[in-house]
Amino acid sequence: MKGLVALRSIKNRLCTDFDAFCRMILGQTPPPALSFASPIETLKPSIPALTNIERLFGDSIFWAVPKHRRSIEKRLKRKFGCIDDFYKMLLPRTDLFTCNQCGHSYQRRHLCPNCYKRVKDETTEFQEVIEKELGLEPIEQEVVVLYKGERTKQPVEEFFKGKRIIELKREKPSWFCRNLLQRTTIGNSDAKDVQPSELA
Amino acid sequence: MNQAEVSQLMSKLRIRVNPRHKNLKQPDGPQGRLNKLRRTVNALFKYERLELNYTLADETRGYAERLISEAIRHGDTHKPTMEMADYWIEEKQLIHKLFKVLVPRFNDYKTSYTMLYRAPKAYPDIVFPRSVLELRGNPFPAILPQRSDQRNFIHNVLLDEAKKAYRAEKYEEITKSLEEQREE
Repeated sequence: MKGLVALRSIKNRLCTDFDAFCRMILGQTPPPALSFASPIETLKPSIPALTNIERLFGDSIFWAVPKHRRSIEKRLKRKFGCIDDFYKMLLPRTDLFTCNQCGHSYQRRHLCPNCYKRVKDETTEFQEVIEKELGLEPIEQEVVVLYKGERTKQPVEEFFKGKRIIELKREKPSWFCRNLLQRTTIGNSDAKDVQPSELA
Repeated sequence: MNQAEVSQLMSKLRIRVNPRHKNLKQPDGPQGRLNKLRRTVNALFKYERLELNYTLADETRGYAERLISEAIRHGDTHKPTMEMADYWIEEKQLIHKLFKVLVPRFNDYKTSYTMLYRAPKAYPDIVFPRSVLELRGNPFPAILPQRSDQRNFIHNVLLDEAKKAYRAEKYEEITKSLEEQREE
């Protein structure tokens, strides 16, 4: 704190008295020697006096600048990152595959998001129904969940012997649409309509 | 070779057990970890299929497998096994399920009793990896789709035979036409 105050006082003194500052820096005052005034020199515009000490400090002295050259390795690492650690460039992903069932893309060794979502929705519905049905009673039988209309298809007594059957209120979702064999385009081979040609 | 199968005499889990447990960082410390594992083991026996964070699912899997294998080996008259079941299963109606449903189900299994899948991630989100843990033989629709591309499936065998028959027919037709050309 004391040092700061001292510095400030010095600066104030310098600002007020520039001759004192010159004496301090150069060790002497400008020489009181014999001098000739040439007409050319007198015509020269006088050099502006360095009275503004703040301008002197701001322009002629560089304060915080790099002291050493940054090596090429470090510059490259800053620019592109490290390939094993944190790589900044974009790389193509090679772990994406197409699902054989639905055609959506999935990550290698992971489940297909589309197929899994379908299964998950079914599963949560099953779980809710089973939980509601079983309640707090001791569970002593395997549980089978059937969709609406499935019960009559199977010979229930033999197939699900010793199992607890829970029936859902809706039909089994079919993975295919029902009108697969219906033609999407209906056109006769002997139609005489003239098709417009060379449409832009 | 009338050797007893050693694999049946010794108890061994059919899953890979990690060399070190996972801490599952908890405010309550190790006891909190055990409580969390108990809750998930209980939920696994109740719902048979869960979606969990991968670490928790992996850790739960071992405890659930161990419990089922002990139940299969010793049955419900074995006191330590029953105590273990009582500790790990919080909803007591599921203890009945363990001994009366799961033990008969898994009695003849040669594989693990649970399955662990990696759940899909939404792309740009950076999240903890999720996974799906399930008991085998559950009543839900299968997670992995049935493969239709294997050679020994019945429809593929039938299609191959149909292809062969079609080709034989075609070759016969071609030879016939060639002979006719020669006669002309």
